[in-house]
Amino acid sequence: MILGLRPPVALAALLAAVAAVIIAVFNWKGAPVTSETFLVTTYIGLFLGALWAMYATGLVVVYTTTGVFNFAQGAIGVFAAFLYWELHVNRGWHSILALFVVVGMFAPALGVMLDIVIMRRLRTASLVVQLMVTVAIMVLLLSVVGDIWEADTPRRVPYLFGIENGIDLGPSQLPWHRLIVFLAAIAIAVAMRFLLRRTRIGTAMRAVVDNRELAALNGARPNVVSSTSWALGSMLGALGGILIAPELGLDPATLNNVVIIAFAAAAFGALRNLPMAVVGAMLIGLLRAHTGAWLDFGPDYRFAHLSIAPLILLFVVVALPQARLEVGRLAHHLRRHERFTKWWEGLIGCGVIILLAVAFSGGWLDFGIWDPGAWGSRELNSANEAMAFALIGLSLVPLIGWAGQINFAPLAFAGFGAFVYLKLAGDTGNGYWILLVGLLCAPLGALVALPAARLRGLYLALMTMAFAQAMSLIFFPHSWVLPTIGVGRQFPHIELLGATFDDRRGFFLLMVCIFAIFVFGLVLLRRSRYGRRWMAINDSQAAAATLGIPVVWTKVVVYAVSAAMAGIAGVFWATVSGNVDSVQGFDLLIGFNIVLLVAAAGVSIPVAGIFLIFIPLFTGLGHRLEDAGNVDFLVTLLDILTTYGPGMLVLGMVFNPRGAIFEMGRGFSPILPWRSDARAEIAAENAQKREPEIGELGLERPFTPEEVIAIDRRLGILDDVVPKEGYGASRS
Amino acid sequence: MSTESATPLLELVGIRAGYGTIDVLHGVDLRVMPGQVYALLGPNGAGKTTTLGVASGQIQPHAGSVLLDGHEVNGVSPDSLARAGVCLIPEGRGIFPNLTVAENLRMCTYAGVSYKQVQERSFAQFPRLQERRNQMAGTLSGGEQQMLAMSRAMATDPALLMLDELSMGLAPIIVEELYEQVATLAEAGLSILIVEQFAQAVLGVANEAAIMLHGRIQRTGPPEEIAEELTAAYLGMS
Repeated sequence: MILGLRPPVALAALLAAVAAVIIAVFNWKGAPVTSETFLVTTYIGLFLGALWAMYATGLVVVYTTTGVFNFAQGAIGVFAAFLYWELHVNRGWHSILALFVVVGMFAPALGVMLDIVIMRRLRTASLVVQLMVTVAIMVLLLSVVGDIWEADTPRRVPYLFGIENGIDLGPSQLPWHRLIVFLAAIAIAVAMRFLLRRTRIGTAMRAVVDNRELAALNGARPNVVSSTSWALGSMLGALGGILIAPELGLDPATLNNVVIIAFAAAAFGALRNLPMAVVGAMLIGLLRAHTGAWLDFGPDYRFAHLSIAPLILLFVVVALPQARLEVGRLAHHLRRHERFTKWWEGLIGCGVIILLAVAFSGGWLDFGIWDPGAWGSRELNSANEAMAFALIGLSLVPLIGWAGQINFAPLAFAGFGAFVYLKLAGDTGNGYWILLVGLLCAPLGALVALPAARLRGLYLALMTMAFAQAMSLIFFPHSWVLPTIGVGRQFPHIELLGATFDDRRGFFLLMVCIFAIFVFGLVLLRRSRYGRRWMAINDSQAAAATLGIPVVWTKVVVYAVSAAMAGIAGVFWATVSGNVDSVQGFDLLIGFNIVLLVAAAGVSIPVAGIFLIFIPLFTGLGHRLEDAGNVDFLVTLLDILTTYGPGMLVLGMVFNPRGAIFEMGRGFSPILPWRSDARAEIAAENAQKREPEIGELGLERPFTPEEVIAIDRRLGILDDVVPKEGYGASRS
Repeated sequence: MSTESATPLLELVGIRAGYGTIDVLHGVDLRVMPGQVYALLGPNGAGKTTTLGVASGQIQPHAGSVLLDGHEVNGVSPDSLARAGVCLIPEGRGIFPNLTVAENLRMCTYAGVSYKQVQERSFAQFPRLQERRNQMAGTLSGGEQQMLAMSRAMATDPALLMLDELSMGLAPIIVEELYEQVATLAEAGLSILIVEQFAQAVLGVANEAAIMLHGRIQRTGPPEEIAEELTAAYLGMS
């Protein structure tokens, strides 16, 4: 033990400190350090830390009292902040009243509703489903906010007591608002610590997570306790959102991203330790303020100071001891009802994909009342974007669906692929380099897999998220990585097999072919030894290891395969528009949507990936509908579907964890002429559901309760007890 | 016995219950009289734990009645029953592993007793728990965990105590120690329903016993007689 740290952690901390000093020395801005400026910077840092501490407190409280790591915590804050703006600024309510209504009434109601409608059903779900559902809630809440409060009006949430009133601190003025935020953050953390450790309800909240049945046997009401936990967590999120909004402005994405910093702070406290989470938040705040004040990273690393939180998250997660990582409760895994897709079925599927794409884009389809006609450039543009999106999504099928490894960084891999391609092919657009892109992206996937191999579930999700953020803040904005050019295409049209894919339809069909090849490859892969191994480590790593499956290597392989696919997809993603916004092009929120869609599809079935093809097909169709003009209703419907679709699909997992595609497949497969097994299964299920009819038993009327008792007595099931009234009649 | 005329404290009448569509209990009738220590014996899978689940409100029977002191309590939630004085110590360490010993004890107060009383009584019975009051319950030894689970029975003055496989996976000396506590409770007049696989542990405490097989109570009688028949029942000869 060195300074109370285990040697590996101490070493990592030392390396991080050395790296920090080197970075600091080489990027020193040269601004004079006076005690005044130093103090002011420290104030700012502590204030920022307090804001994040408030969010981190919410996360830790929700996690300890519900067992669910709530990715939507930030989005609840966003919603609350907008509602507060609506009431206070737009409707002119007094700030205290508005605060009370939002934090004291709306937020707990939202929390209780979330518990009753969604969380209660998630209790026995797998960690992947739990995570996906909270991410879906986040995406949905943000969409709702975007729909209610449209982005075109500028909004500001005023400071409590105004910005100009405050305490004079010599060099600067400390507004009341900031002082209140700071004190409130500390007070809330202390109060929550007290609540969780020293009160009966707090103890019960944690007890319910530990063992719900036992809590009931003790006399606690588990449902009431859980709802209280969610109400409390929601209130904390709402308060954080309202207090932070004056500083950051009312922008849903910006406000929501705060929560990622809070993730880092919460991870600092191993997700359960409140004081350490607050310390983590303060540390990040101080680091942010001081790097901002004294360091200048130059234009290439202009977002580097923003990456402190993801880097700390990465560091903490990697440094955490293994034992701590056994998070996530024992999930009741569903029995699989999976049938291997035969290779020729895969081939037929791929043929259908290509045929559909050709028919849709070429306008061969005629829906009777409406003939969409061939797609124009606008349809093809959208369809191309969606197609690249689908390709990236497909890369997650083996990873999330089969091996059960969560990955929020598909776009980071895709971006890396685009970068590699740009460096290899330059401005020639030579498509053969794409194969090499796949090979070069695989090692990056393997690299991410190495820490991931010892992590599970939640920490894995956090780590890939931090990785994605770090990539988009440090790597992609660098001018050498994706140099911006004045005119023309940064990514030239792809040349392959002697053809230049410079027309949009040709490029669309090229991507469809790549998609079909990927799908076919996945079908084969699922039938291979690796496919079985991935399924095995998903079910039980311990059992897989005892069977002699090298768990670490198996994970490394699946990450490498996924990264290679994502990298290839990234080339197309970049080539669609020809120019990639190096800052926004690989944004985490887009990545979230891809992951959600794939998860909702029920990716454990390999052919489920095929479903992704419908996104580009319907995107193109949607534009045709718009052009048709007289189908406003359908356009609105499509609009709603694209905005809320992924989230709603995932929420559907609450009720049907196997995913939408699974059920669709069950409905569809009996139609296929060779699937007599599917028809037999449905028939067997129906037979089970149906109560035998009276006639079939050779009876003319149902048994009376007395007769049932007589029969039971004859069979020796019932001894000499005189039955209570109604017995026998209520037999189910 | 004089208790024959009194209302049974717990009575199960024609209980049929199970999990999903599978019935485990096929008409269970059982009476625990006030002050009685009733041992329900039987092999794995006989339905003993399910019976306790029904009596504690965790499992809703498909048919039949659960009566507590003569009142039908079908459909009453387990937490309401717990607050009304039904105390079930479930099988396999009924503790919260991620809570400290003291916090585990605090959870007992939902039964309507003060925290002070819970602490006083359980620490008096099991001094080892006091030494480890700030330790996570999951890090206690098996015996200590069972003591912690038992302290809920000692501290909350239940009307009916149900013990599920108290002896499971514990050293004989600890089992003996635990059943001494049960005997103390029985002497104080508490009605107890004990589920065990092995009769030996409960023979000294019980004054009524029953064999359960295939979801039915096969025989009821004095513990000594029942214990003799138990071997036969286990070998499938009954």
